Amino acid sequence: MDHLERLENQSIYIIREAYYQFKDVALLWSVGKDSTTLLWLARKAFFGKIPFPIVHLDTSYKFREIYKFRDRYAKEWGLDLIVWRNERALAEGMGPGLGRFQCCTALKTEALKEAIAFHGWKALYLGIRRDEHGIRAKERFFSPRNEDFTWDYRDQPPELWDQYKTKAAGEEHFRVHPLLGWRELDVWEYIRREGIPIVSLYFARNGQRYRSIGCEPCCRPIASEADTVEKLIAELRASRISERSGRAQDKEEAQMMQKLRALGYM
Amino acid sequence: MRRAVIIGLDGMPYRLIADLAGQGVMPNMRALIAEAEGAFTPMESTIPEVSSVAWSSIITGKNPGEHGIFGFTDLRPGTYELFFPNFNDLGARPFWERPGSGRAAIINIPSTYPARAMNGVLIAGFVALELERAVYPPTLVPELERLGYRLDVDSAKGHRSIELFLEDLERTLESHIAAARWLWEEGAWETFMLAFTTTDRLAHFLWEAYEDEQHQYHSAFLGHLHKIDRAIGELADRLDERDLLVVLSDHGFERLEEEVYVNLILKEEGLLELEEAPSAPDLEAISPKTRAFALDPARIYLNLKGRFPRGSIEPEDREKVLAELIALFSELRRAGRRAVRRVCRKEEIYRGPWLDRAPDLVLLPERGFAFRARLKLELEAPSEERGPFTGKHTQEDAFLLVRCEEADELMPSRPTVADVVGLIDRWQRL
Repeated sequence: MDHLERLENQSIYIIREAYYQFKDVALLWSVGKDSTTLLWLARKAFFGKIPFPIVHLDTSYKFREIYKFRDRYAKEWGLDLIVWRNERALAEGMGPGLGRFQCCTALKTEALKEAIAFHGWKALYLGIRRDEHGIRAKERFFSPRNEDFTWDYRDQPPELWDQYKTKAAGEEHFRVHPLLGWRELDVWEYIRREGIPIVSLYFARNGQRYRSIGCEPCCRPIASEADTVEKLIAELRASRISERSGRAQDKEEAQMMQKLRALGYM
Repeated sequence: MRRAVIIGLDGMPYRLIADLAGQGVMPNMRALIAEAEGAFTPMESTIPEVSSVAWSSIITGKNPGEHGIFGFTDLRPGTYELFFPNFNDLGARPFWERPGSGRAAIINIPSTYPARAMNGVLIAGFVALELERAVYPPTLVPELERLGYRLDVDSAKGHRSIELFLEDLERTLESHIAAARWLWEEGAWETFMLAFTTTDRLAHFLWEAYEDEQHQYHSAFLGHLHKIDRAIGELADRLDERDLLVVLSDHGFERLEEEVYVNLILKEEGLLELEEAPSAPDLEAISPKTRAFALDPARIYLNLKGRFPRGSIEPEDREKVLAELIALFSELRRAGRRAVRRVCRKEEIYRGPWLDRAPDLVLLPERGFAFRARLKLELEAPSEERGPFTGKHTQEDAFLLVRCEEADELMPSRPTVADVVGLIDRWQRL
């Protein structure tokens, strides 16, 4: 069994296990390459028909290409797509101009809280990976969140020998991370192997491409000539720059900024 | 074994220490000043006079051009992208990481986060985010948690309630003292360095309480310094005459009278322009028409071709634009008073391998003025309403106190924060 197959098997096992344990589940689909890969794996896990809803948190600031892609494949793959927007914050004019951190909090975090409260999901699938960011290295495949969304990474169920702990207590909801062990390169190699359709923003046009996508105002392209998956994989193998370097929003930086602001240093 | 102990009081000016020692609020400092005889003087901070830059100079003995830390924020080379330099961006070695350094205990020194391997123990100071990453070796974490160690005061409280802020301030200080006592007893160190940083937080919010005896928090201000003085006395008493004791601050403080927003001035003068309908109204939206822009507190960068993506100033025009800016800021007035004490060109104040990354100009304010870059470029100058801050940093009156037998020989005549490592080195060679 090769490396990709091992990853695929593990992810599919986690996807099925979580569904078996929780039933009331949903999958968060940002339409980026990771959650699209996750969606692909979920289709495989349930033989083409995913038995739970797919949630897209729509900040209204996403790239046009993302919306088009989402609607096309929601139809093609027969997804039970739920688009959730924090309408109240949008009506009050929330946007990146009011502060990127505040904007993310309102249009992503708060929107997700609302969606969970409304639909009562017990667990959510997310396409995060350990190698994306330092803090994610502490993540678990099954990661509890309390009512306030706080993730107490010091008090997590142990996952010794990959015996996944899936029991939720009380008011908590679980986050399930089937892609946790994948690296950026694994994702692209799997996309190539499976021929998974991916938003065109990832591929170079006029010498630029996006390595990580989200909301249009907060993403910047990198210089690149990689206009195919093959070239992209070759580029990644040669690159030492972090994947999220083109993304403005970063939790640690936001914390640092708050501390500096509290003393008038910014 | 002779021991060196360095105690920092973040932001405490020479004249405050002299004043509180004289008043009897800091009796241990008073005794130390008497013992030090002449070896208690004002000390110059770095330019700019902020803790990250000054402490980086204190621990490396280098000027910012040599250590590469020019502020709490900086720009990624070749971009307008802001980042927060940390210990990993420090471009020179702190004294405890030099080859052959003896065992050291380093506690709460700003800009040493994230902690990394060394000969000894380290608890990083401001801006440390997580205890696990602030401590080396990590085996210290459980005991620090047991001691209720707090990395820093939650200064956001100062904006909501001074009472809550003061309570946090006291508990933070107590936890720092408890950790210092523990590490003092715990290890066989040759160098022990501890910074009290609650002093700077206190001065930001309550400088007026220090100056005004009628102020409701006057006694809280003095009480806090009294508590620190007791801790200094406790550590000083454990040393003998062969040991070195250095007490210092990284910059001074004074009353804040008026804030001046450098980017807004540049914008008013037509020197800074944003692209139309910017999606994010900060430096990322700088248009090619921009001549100059600032980072906090008053670091001015020319929008040079080749240095920045939308740089438009040709290298041969650099001098001309610099001259314009120097003229503009030298003459800057607020209510009839000059606001700028000195416009510093980078070549005058920095030297070393990081010079290319330095700001082109740095402004030093006149008494009472605080400069802020103000990155939210779309905003107009704020109303007259006063913020929560009543104090501001000063560059020229940090302090340095040296107690050892050879203090006369060791003391530089007009010390700056970059002289401290050299002083310790000379003492070790004695």
